[in-house]
Amino acid sequence: MADEKTNKDPPLVERWLAEQQQWQRTLLTYLDSMVKNDEFVVHLGNAMRGSLLAGKAYPTPPPPGAAAPENPTDDKLDQILFALRKLEGEVQDLKLSLDDLKAQKKTKSGKKLGGKDDP
Amino acid sequence: MSPAEPGPAPSEDQERELEALLTLSQRGREKLERLHEVLTTPGHYGKGATPTTVVYRENKLKLLRLLDANGQPRTGPPVLFVPAPVSRYFIIDLLPGRSFAGHVASSGFDVYIADFGTPEREDRFADLAYYVDGLVRRCVRTVLNLTGEDRINLVGYCLGGTLSLLYTALYPDTVSRLVLLTTTVDGDVEGGIPWVAHRMGLAGESYDQPRLVPAAEVKSWFEMLAPGSNSVVGRVSDLWDRLDDAPERLREVRTMASWVDDVVPAPGRLLAELYRKLGPGANGLMRGTATVGDRAVDFKAVSCPVLSVSAEKDTIAPAAGVDAVQRIVPQAEILRLPGGHVGIVAGRAAAALWKRTVEFLGTRGAAT
Repeated sequence: MADEKTNKDPPLVERWLAEQQQWQRTLLTYLDSMVKNDEFVVHLGNAMRGSLLAGKAYPTPPPPGAAAPENPTDDKLDQILFALRKLEGEVQDLKLSLDDLKAQKKTKSGKKLGGKDDP
Repeated sequence: MSPAEPGPAPSEDQERELEALLTLSQRGREKLERLHEVLTTPGHYGKGATPTTVVYRENKLKLLRLLDANGQPRTGPPVLFVPAPVSRYFIIDLLPGRSFAGHVASSGFDVYIADFGTPEREDRFADLAYYVDGLVRRCVRTVLNLTGEDRINLVGYCLGGTLSLLYTALYPDTVSRLVLLTTTVDGDVEGGIPWVAHRMGLAGESYDQPRLVPAAEVKSWFEMLAPGSNSVVGRVSDLWDRLDDAPERLREVRTMASWVDDVVPAPGRLLAELYRKLGPGANGLMRGTATVGDRAVDFKAVSCPVLSVSAEKDTIAPAAGVDAVQRIVPQAEILRLPGGHVGIVAGRAAAALWKRTVEFLGTRGAAT
């Protein structure tokens, strides 16, 4: 009889009160993280959009009219910048070709040396 | 009855209802606590699971070489993974124990991954030739220089497969084996990302005056293909259900979400060119009219062994459009796996793909 009493859950009212206190603690934990951690706010915002994406905000379209009008000068600058990017690639090609040549030269001289050692 | 006196005790029915409500309240709170724990746990999200070193950089591209447990480069036949440039690379190196690239590396290969990075405004002028004849070709050259090999194994995923196939047709002497993962070849097969993009305005994308297509717009095409993910309510409801899972499982889900939801902006010129040359109606790969820059692409030149893998439930690259590769590259082996576009590469059943890929690439020394 005594055992039954000790195993019994606390009354419903007490459990509701404890649950309410737990909710307060949970909400305070969220508030604390929101205040102390900017990234948490971003992650929470993502979760409120249904995503666990980490590190950045969920991609959303900009509001209509928010995009800056295309400026012809910017457009030219972008074209020049991209042309430079392509040049960067061509320079890398040259560098890779030089590496190729060096490697071939090494192989050839290695073979020659090998030839000298041959009886 | 005075106000200070306790009210009448609840009936049995009321007590049962209050018990049920209490359980609901506890479950909801526990879910929120689990969510808090997951959101505050740092992870590698977006960086790949395996240690790497950068062996080549160009514009936003980084060519990564996978390292072994001691931080040393591996030896063995070289394998270059080419992911889609409109998404992040780390889906093929997702988590420890669930890394496709890591599995291939630990099977005796020297593995490289092309991380195309995030395009910026000026990159909107990048076209197919820039990717195939520029970035991919120079990645291959770099690997061949580093390893001293004459040929490389290429593994292309999705649009990365298209780039790899075009590269192989243009430079067949440098490729020993080609693996195409969920790579659409027949642009006339209905469904999938080209058709959705077509309906959502890609047809109007300008080649001459390209935009940097915003990530949110690219994302919206993928969302259209995934029932339930194209509405906030649907996504929140899915996430709420998932919060019953253990935090470890939720962290895996988070890594996957960090790939699925983190699409990158796309160069408008590339998309316009892909659409006009290879998309619905043009179908240049199947019709033999594809070009890269001013060079015609002849698939008869592809002489190496080719493995093309499709996924039965793929909504992004429907299996029929993927398997069609055999009509232009007759020696291509077709493998259709159960699962979806992402699941066959990084899901819980991805081991089937990894195993077959390693078999196809051959053991150390056999593939090259």
